[in-house]
Amino acid sequence: MNCEVFREIIGSYVDETLEEGRRLWFRTHLRECPTCREEALRKEPSLLFAMAPAEPGEPEAVEACAAAVMGRIRQDRLERRLHRRRRPWLAAAAAAIVVISGGLTWRTLVGGGSGTLQPVVEAQADSELQNSPPSVEVEMPGEGIRVYQFANDEDADTAVYFIVDPAMEL
Amino acid sequence: MNDLQWIQAAKKGDEDAYAHLVRRHSGGLHRAVARILADDTEAWDVVQMAFLKAWQKLDRYNPRYSFTTWLYRIGTNLAIDLLRSRTSRERAHKAGTEHRLRLVGAGEGAGTRADSTEATNVLQQLVRVLTPQQRSAFVLREMEGLETAEVAEVLGCSATTVRNHIFQARKALRRELKARFPEYLPASERG
Repeated sequence: MNCEVFREIIGSYVDETLEEGRRLWFRTHLRECPTCREEALRKEPSLLFAMAPAEPGEPEAVEACAAAVMGRIRQDRLERRLHRRRRPWLAAAAAAIVVISGGLTWRTLVGGGSGTLQPVVEAQADSELQNSPPSVEVEMPGEGIRVYQFANDEDADTAVYFIVDPAMEL
Repeated sequence: MNDLQWIQAAKKGDEDAYAHLVRRHSGGLHRAVARILADDTEAWDVVQMAFLKAWQKLDRYNPRYSFTTWLYRIGTNLAIDLLRSRTSRERAHKAGTEHRLRLVGAGEGAGTRADSTEATNVLQQLVRVLTPQQRSAFVLREMEGLETAEVAEVLGCSATTVRNHIFQARKALRRELKARFPEYLPASERG
């Protein structure tokens, strides 16, 4: 009976006049019944495409996509915040660092031992830095990002910026 | 939680909620875009761009429409733009890439005699004879199973236009299939 009905409505499916509920039934039957499939393809070869399966995405690819999208969203937010402070070059540098690091490992700038901070940019001598304690320029709770400014008291035009793990205090 | 609840949370700045939406919908969107572009890898780029664009426009999302339809609209428009920007040389270069489009019930009945790799190549090449709009309408309607009204919403056109795209697409595919790949037709049709 199902096959008989199926064969009667092949034309209306192809003509786009079949109601939506019956289209779903038609497509299911097309996939499941080899005899009706033979008949349907004889009448309309392009029905071949209606048999393409609705496969879900591969979990690894989906997860990689989610990580890439969310990483970009966070990066954009950081760039916007830095741009608002009218230091576009800093935003670019920060974005580059975020991309490179992947949010995984941040090294600290000072403190000695294995936690010794590594300067992102070549900075002034320690003695100069000690004259002007660093100030926090941008704080992003939850992002693992903090931007510090080191200013030299004798040279107001010079400033050096670092991005470090906020969990590690300077 | 349903999509709307996740969206409301994301609108308030909950990025984990948005990540949940990305995980839930990226597979389906990728499948549709890959079929439109006939390119798996490029489709992932488009999917990422679509989700970024959706995030930026989340405040403008109208809950009257399903999130899937809204997302498909963004993704399909990006895919159509990409198709239009490809040069003919690029299109030729793309032939034979890794687009995956498997048939169900392999080994039984007409149209499924070839293994999925062969079928993939055939279908990929056939879809290239269609215009971007025809290709999108046909993929969304015939392969993804969207309703005509949904396809019209995705493509930003009328239901009548969608039916016309489907009609033209089916006509072109029928002709190409018979001319270039008769082995995929039922035995009685091969001549």
